[in-house]
Amino acid sequence: MTGHRIIIDTDPGVDDAAAILMALASPEIDVLGITTVAGNVPLNAALANACRIVGIAGRPDVPVMAGAQDPLLRDQVLGKYALIGAFPERLVGRGAVEPAAERAAGFIARQAREAARTGCAITICAIGPLTNIALALRLHPEVSQGIARIVCMGGAFTALGHRVPWAEFNIYADPHAAQIVFSSDVPVVLFPLDVTMQALFDAAHVAHIRDTGGEAGTALANLLSEYDRSDPVRYGRPGGPLHDPMTIAWLIAPDLFEGRRATIGVQVDGQTSGHTYADFTDHDARTTVMRQVDEAGYITLLTERLTHYGTVAALSHRGSKGK
Amino acid sequence: MDTTLPVIFDCDPGIDDTIALLGAFVSPELDILAITPVCGNQPLDKTLRNALQICELGGRPEIPVHPGCHRPLCREPIHGQFHGSTGLGNTVLPEPRKQAEPTSAVECLIDHLGRAARGAAPKVTLCCLGPLTNVAMALRMAPEIAGGIARIVMMGGAFREPGNRSMTSEFNMLADPHAARIVFSAGLPMTVLGLDATHQVMLLPEHVNAFARSSGPISRTVAELMAFWDRNDARRYGSRGGPLHDPLVTVWLLRPDLFQSSPARVFVETESPLCLGQTVADWFGKSGEPANADIVTHVDAQGVIDFYLHLLARYARRGAA
Repeated sequence: MTGHRIIIDTDPGVDDAAAILMALASPEIDVLGITTVAGNVPLNAALANACRIVGIAGRPDVPVMAGAQDPLLRDQVLGKYALIGAFPERLVGRGAVEPAAERAAGFIARQAREAARTGCAITICAIGPLTNIALALRLHPEVSQGIARIVCMGGAFTALGHRVPWAEFNIYADPHAAQIVFSSDVPVVLFPLDVTMQALFDAAHVAHIRDTGGEAGTALANLLSEYDRSDPVRYGRPGGPLHDPMTIAWLIAPDLFEGRRATIGVQVDGQTSGHTYADFTDHDARTTVMRQVDEAGYITLLTERLTHYGTVAALSHRGSKGK
Repeated sequence: MDTTLPVIFDCDPGIDDTIALLGAFVSPELDILAITPVCGNQPLDKTLRNALQICELGGRPEIPVHPGCHRPLCREPIHGQFHGSTGLGNTVLPEPRKQAEPTSAVECLIDHLGRAARGAAPKVTLCCLGPLTNVAMALRMAPEIAGGIARIVMMGGAFREPGNRSMTSEFNMLADPHAARIVFSAGLPMTVLGLDATHQVMLLPEHVNAFARSSGPISRTVAELMAFWDRNDARRYGSRGGPLHDPLVTVWLLRPDLFQSSPARVFVETESPLCLGQTVADWFGKSGEPANADIVTHVDAQGVIDFYLHLLARYARRGAA
């Protein structure tokens, strides 16, 4: 597979941080930019966190942009761990990059339109509420032509009861935006809770990330320890899921996943707003819903990719000795 | 007036949009920063082309025209029923020489309003004659621009009057109810000229004749557009003629003394299939929410017609430029 040119649209968020670090450590992936949106945390915290993650990844060349601070229509809901706010320095260290001036939706639209003209379509990894992407799609009809696919963490079909009994958070937080994205002509590869909850990272995995991932690995391990995501009652075993990096893992190693085509829809209004439904009998659907993951393969891929930061640190340490 | 009022016309021309713009073009009180056509009465390619042609017809080719959103936010597009297949009735205007700007309407709004919000330019009055998609998009992409909006003066909604496109809903609201909800929720000063106001000003055949006599070089076009506008439906409107919807926005800017309004909280229905786009006004504080709009309730109809005749007569004085 040739390289993917991607934009990560994100609301970091601990598992968002893992996804960003994984993407920035992967040679198959060219991250054009990181666009932030209110979701897990308010927009200013999401932007600050993205800037810190890109900073500890040592990638000031990747622009980080502010996006929507409110959902299109519904009242704002923030993540279960919204109290995290901006990641504290004691967990992720110093060295944030400065955000770029361009607006998220404008950046997505501009990149997609350029891609439509050059025939070199981009991929969007959407791991927060879909507000920015919906806005970008409405800015110009060419935008959808320049997007090869939207790889989205969102929705739930059988694994309900994550945030509310009827919906997964990213869709619940902006159901109108989700409906705009799902009804566009861009193919969607969807990672619902049904698949993301199949892979659990336990204390040993976190320790491994801390030991091998350099400064970035330490920061991520700090975040994972501080905001523990495990839920033995729900999952029946120790460990917590890392939802968002699955979108990146799929771009690198699609064979780790098994999905089916399905037409999907979103309940935008009323008491069950944010509920996603799927028709798995529609084999010509544009959307692929992921259903199975090779848990060990996914965990290994993520942790291996994060060792990049350990290696870079070792190299630069050796290099700086002579200075 | 000592200084001019900076305005942006967000519109979907449209016959009545055309008349509204032609009136604004000859009003030195207004500094028209831009025109931002949107998908509405007609698809975007036609409303954009019409806007360019209208600028040339009105002798204002220097006004920048920025292409707006190509479709509503959530619902599928609907278009107007009384504007003919081009949006300008049977009127054929010359191919525009003028080009649309490369930047979009949303970028234009964010740029102008953002500058005003930062205090680097005076606040802008937004004149909204079509579905509110462009404005809603700009507000969601850059909420800080709200600080650069002096007021939104809009044609849209139906309060004590029934709808004109569905039983409950006025066209601009029905065409993008979600955008309307975003704009009404933004906490901005708003003046709303709904059907309650616009149905008070019927453009009668004798008015059309008067405009045809007085509007100088654009007389023939204006008369043609106005004649096409005649609904010829006395059962609905109480007389012949067509309601002068969008031009009331232009008149309100210049002669607010011709209008009376009441503050109310306006809610826009976005969920019900039956009442989609309905604007519900809370006149008496039943909702517990503060007023978010001044709804025009009474119009001096004769005053408006007389003023508009006076306005378009400026084209006669300007001569066949």
